[in-house]
Amino acid sequence: MSRQDVDMDVANPELVRRRELLKRAAWLLGGAISAPAALAILQGCSAKENDAAPVATKFLDAGQLALVAEIAETMIPKTTTSGAKDAGVPAFIDLVLDAAYPKDAQDRFTAGLAAFDAAARSAGKAFLERAAGDRASFVKQQLEAALAGEREPKPFILLARELTLLGFFTSRVGITENMDYVPVPTVFHGCVPLSQMAKHVYWE
Amino acid sequence: METNSFDAIVVGSGMSGGWAAKELTEKGLKTLVLERGRMVKHGEYPTATKDPWDLPYGNRITQETRKRKYVWSRTGYPTPANEHWMVDDLDNAYVEEQPFDWMRGYHVGGRSLMWARQSYRFGPLDLEANAKEGVGVPWPVSYDEIAPWYDKAEIFAGISGSVEGLYQLPDGKYLPPHDLNCVEIDFKKRLDEKLKRKLIIGRCANLTAPLTHNESPQRGTCQARNMCIRGCPYGGYFSSVSATLPSAERTGNMTLLADQIVYELMYDNDKGKATGVRVLDANTGKQTDYFAKVVFLCASALGSAYVMLNSTSSRFPNGFGNDSGELGHNIMDHNKPGSSNASVDGYLDMAYTGRRPNGFYIPRYRNVGNDKRNYLRGFGYQGRASRAGYGRFNDSAAIGEDLKKEFAEPGPWNIGMTAFGEILPYHENHARLDRDKKDKHGLPLLVINAVVRENERKMEEDMKNDAAEMLEAAGFKNVKVRSDSYNVGNSIHEMGTARMGADPKKSVLNKFNQVHACKNVFVTDGSFMPSSGCQNPSLTYMAFTARAANHAVEELKKGNI
Repeated sequence: MSRQDVDMDVANPELVRRRELLKRAAWLLGGAISAPAALAILQGCSAKENDAAPVATKFLDAGQLALVAEIAETMIPKTTTSGAKDAGVPAFIDLVLDAAYPKDAQDRFTAGLAAFDAAARSAGKAFLERAAGDRASFVKQQLEAALAGEREPKPFILLARELTLLGFFTSRVGITENMDYVPVPTVFHGCVPLSQMAKHVYWE
Repeated sequence: METNSFDAIVVGSGMSGGWAAKELTEKGLKTLVLERGRMVKHGEYPTATKDPWDLPYGNRITQETRKRKYVWSRTGYPTPANEHWMVDDLDNAYVEEQPFDWMRGYHVGGRSLMWARQSYRFGPLDLEANAKEGVGVPWPVSYDEIAPWYDKAEIFAGISGSVEGLYQLPDGKYLPPHDLNCVEIDFKKRLDEKLKRKLIIGRCANLTAPLTHNESPQRGTCQARNMCIRGCPYGGYFSSVSATLPSAERTGNMTLLADQIVYELMYDNDKGKATGVRVLDANTGKQTDYFAKVVFLCASALGSAYVMLNSTSSRFPNGFGNDSGELGHNIMDHNKPGSSNASVDGYLDMAYTGRRPNGFYIPRYRNVGNDKRNYLRGFGYQGRASRAGYGRFNDSAAIGEDLKKEFAEPGPWNIGMTAFGEILPYHENHARLDRDKKDKHGLPLLVINAVVRENERKMEEDMKNDAAEMLEAAGFKNVKVRSDSYNVGNSIHEMGTARMGADPKKSVLNKFNQVHACKNVFVTDGSFMPSSGCQNPSLTYMAFTARAANHAVEELKKGNI
């Protein structure tokens, strides 16, 4: 069963959510943000590999999901290997925030996301309107500031990073493209020169 | 009524119950095994072969699980991969008069399915301590008496480990030891050179090689997956589901019933014997009586104490076999006041392959030989060195191509270890019933009141300081010793509630785990322990259970019970 299958286990409520989602998208188009940004959100929504249908969400709304998706993709972009969106990270973050995080952490996440959005705008341009390189320097700046500052409670950008990494490294592509994943190693060898290992072994 | 009669009844199907079932059935007794939770058969481990991407939420615990399994959640163990072995605490209430972490697994196999598999003998140092120091009651069994039963338990279960010749941690019959990794090997050398302390590979119930007997054809060797807690379809580690219950099943003498809550022992005043047990069906509430010549209570230290406290009669107004007033008292566990870790420079060209379901062990050295401290007893450490995983990127600002380059390399080495300290038996640390408060089955609630006291607090100083001393002596960096708040029970080694002893005025059981005042009832789970040692206790429960079952059969043959 893949993570996507897990999503589908709760298919019926999703239909309801999907209708809400479309309504929200329409509202967003209606004027809360600029037309190019709304377009980017929709592109973000539909950019998920192998999934042309709108994404049904559990916790984040469509706009939030689109922004989260691009933050995750900025941290782990698609290159010659898969990126965060290929690995299903945006939907993962939505699901795990909904099921595994308490209300206060959820609230901090959404408030942090809004502040991230506002900071990008006040620095000149909405995050989703920026080009890839521009997004990267903005995220990097946010990360460096957060790592240098107060870590309790965890700043938004670090929580977003943690969730991105968790989603990526519990996904099939994240693991199998970056590590030598052997489900049944059969034996443990305690001291092995790295030079004799095909690839970074999966130990998690 | 005839169909409800057996030669023996075993209450509980976990570590001890499995052994009782195997030994009694192999000696020809028609044996009823009663488990309060659901049925589990070897191979029926729903998450055992799931890949990481097959588990929901990145295998993070959900808020719903935190709410329902609120006691289990205190350990940090529950995840979507294993939580089906962990009891719903909201549905299985008890009263914490002091915070007490009672971690239960209500299903066939009990906690033998998700135990940490560390398997150490108690030695003369442990078994003689109470007598020498005037603590609690003396152990009524010497090391020489129990040693052959340890042999039997180790050989059947398959325990891997190294032979070390340590007085404080007797050697056993071992399968080949797991490897230490490069960092652990150097840590071992430096501890020996600088502090004269030993570090050994953990002794664990994982088959590093085929068993040396052919009594368990359903078991294969350990596959180095380190997913034991989910249940192992290969039978690579010992559990009652993978090992003892299949042996009992093959005799044709076992009847195993799940969802049967034993809540009372029946006692015949005229004969001076127990006649059987009373049972509630967990699903229907139907009440049934089962009868047998001999009853083995193997329902865990608090579970068995519960049944005995709830079994009152004119002969036993204060609980079954409770002439001493010690039933439910002297609760022990292992004190776990903190853990330590450090980063390790170098070794970047070395790693390991496979996932070792085991770590290193630093056996007790305090109050051993000429070492004398201002407290009694001692502690051991369990830990491991490893290369950091993707979690290290949480604290980095690298993104994009830079981050992806880092993915290709294993992280730096780090090392961590946790001390487990002996807790003395205190009469004040006890469990009792509150008959005014009822659970969902209408049964009285267990009230638990146990805390660590002065001896444990003094020992904690050494547990923390020594950890820092050792990690620093090894040259590791950023040594951190974390203080954790510890509730009794958190090590999941609760024991002592029906201690054995030579004196019936001070103990509940005799040296063969028989209730002093009713010889056809045996209690062989952690209840019987007069002291806790600092070693993981399951192997000791196995050895004493096998010995008790053997004694029960001999006594039945002689007509003594």
